[in-house]
Amino acid sequence: MATPLLAVDGLDVTITTGRGRLNAVRGVSFSIEAGETLCLVGESGCGKSMTALALMDLLPKGAVRRVERFILDGNDLKSASRQHINSLRGTRMAMIFQEPMSALNPVYTIGEQMIEGYRFHRHVDAQTARERAIFLLDKVGIPAASGRLEQYPHQLSGGLRQRVMIAMALMCEPKLLIADEPTTALDVTIQAQILHLLADLQREFGIALLLITHDLGVVARIATRVAVMYGGEIVEEASSERLFARPRHPYTRGLMACIPVPGRSERGQRLGTIAGTVPSLVGNIEGCAFRSRCVQAADQCADAVPLNAMDDHRWRCHVETAR
Amino acid sequence: MARFVVTRLALALAVALAVSIIAFLLLRLSGDVATALAGEGAQQADIEAVRKIYGLDRPVIVQYGEWLWRVMSGDFGTSLYFKTDVASLVLSKLPTTLVLGLSSLVFSLLIAIPLGIIAALYRNSLIDRLALGLAVIGQALPNFFFALLLIMVFSITLRWLPVSGSGTWKHFVMPTIALGYYAAPAFMRLIRAGMIEVLSADYVRTARAKGLPARLVIFKHALRNAIVPVVALTAVQLGFLLGGSVVIETIFALDGLGYLAYQSIANKDFPVMQVVVLLLSLVYVGLTLMADIANAWLDPRIRVA
Repeated sequence: MATPLLAVDGLDVTITTGRGRLNAVRGVSFSIEAGETLCLVGESGCGKSMTALALMDLLPKGAVRRVERFILDGNDLKSASRQHINSLRGTRMAMIFQEPMSALNPVYTIGEQMIEGYRFHRHVDAQTARERAIFLLDKVGIPAASGRLEQYPHQLSGGLRQRVMIAMALMCEPKLLIADEPTTALDVTIQAQILHLLADLQREFGIALLLITHDLGVVARIATRVAVMYGGEIVEEASSERLFARPRHPYTRGLMACIPVPGRSERGQRLGTIAGTVPSLVGNIEGCAFRSRCVQAADQCADAVPLNAMDDHRWRCHVETAR
Repeated sequence: MARFVVTRLALALAVALAVSIIAFLLLRLSGDVATALAGEGAQQADIEAVRKIYGLDRPVIVQYGEWLWRVMSGDFGTSLYFKTDVASLVLSKLPTTLVLGLSSLVFSLLIAIPLGIIAALYRNSLIDRLALGLAVIGQALPNFFFALLLIMVFSITLRWLPVSGSGTWKHFVMPTIALGYYAAPAFMRLIRAGMIEVLSADYVRTARAKGLPARLVIFKHALRNAIVPVVALTAVQLGFLLGGSVVIETIFALDGLGYLAYQSIANKDFPVMQVVVLLLSLVYVGLTLMADIANAWLDPRIRVA
């Protein structure tokens, strides 16, 4: 088997808080092949964003990352130097964020912010970098791209800013693009456009996409594979078809019942809810984190949860086992 | 941008005019000009005569109007004490004060900016506490007291620097430190607070995500945003420095505007006082204007509508 583009094993993120140690990400392992789209789904606070920030080494102060294995495009990032990480950020992996309004520096032009990383990594002149920026602005569907380079972020709408962020992320031809809920802050009408754009660009440039979202409708349309996170863990992972055809983890089923999925939900059908709230991740968590909300919970759920596997479908559950 | 400058300029003129009115009224309140003019031991009759001759018996508003008219036509009056033209007297002292003001501003920024950045980068570390300690001392220590300490150490004990006078650059060293150290804490705190806020901003995270090295992230992306309020404070601080120069120039007998202001107050030299106040306020207003323009240049959200 060829080595995947990204391989992460045993990723932990802990945050020291006033109430104790918060285990934001617990033993997360996954891999992404070149050119595929992995969607990371789950409720707010389940550790999706922390996982993404941990990959980019952009965790906020106070958050500590531990990882058993972290390989990106042949580079071992488990204990890489700051310089090594900087040389890969932007060039091999790039990231776009949830909040396009504040993710661009207000005092520099779009052009300056787009070309600075490219010039730094590629050592090219300003003109070459500008041409690349115009090419990409055009690709992300911004008309009259050359005029936009002189504009400041506050002169652009949220949707345009997110397009600029996407173009900026693609400047150095990264092999992995991490998108952390890139449409959450945008108008509903713009959301679909941005997602289509991401899917198109992903196909055109052959980049791998790690898309964090809680929109299962989106996942159904663009994901190659899906990882469902709950309480800082990946509780289920499978190819998109398999997951939607037969979700195994009770949490995944609960999620799907909450959201109308094209081709699955019937007209007039009542949407479900998952009772209760996300558990606190402070301190040690024993057994299945979902059991307090799970309709199928049994006594054994308080014990260490086994990892079930069937082909490429993996899930953590006592009750639902491979059959 | 041109429109912005013009409106600010008009506002600046209005402020200068208001300051001159207030200064005029305050000086009239602080003592009787006629008594000062008539000199010591003058009879009541002499004082009244002087009052009539100089038109001081007229309403204050008329006197102000006349003063303003003369000033506009270039006549700033004659010093009662030095018996010379006020304009040339004041102009001859201005360079010394400007040099002192600018050098102490530069000195305080040279301490405050690096210290503020380091304190923000290593928040709650030993160096942060040390910087804050220095700031507290700087704000709590009156500048005249600090000046005396400097004189004791560098002039009397070490004999490195002259105690007073304004002949060479050496005469400016202690006044600059005494005045600049006083202004540094405000800058340092503002830069520290600004950097702490900006370093956790989303766009700084974006800059790091692009793989930019720390120096570009800190100096290009963070500092540029944190420095915007500092520019506005610079104008205010320079005003304080000019005010502080009255004390510092007097202590070091530095022959500048501050010392002149002190002398003219001591000698009830009203025409000189009036012009010094007007000039200092004009300088201050001019600086505020420059700070506004600099801010507009630094922050495109102000500049580009």
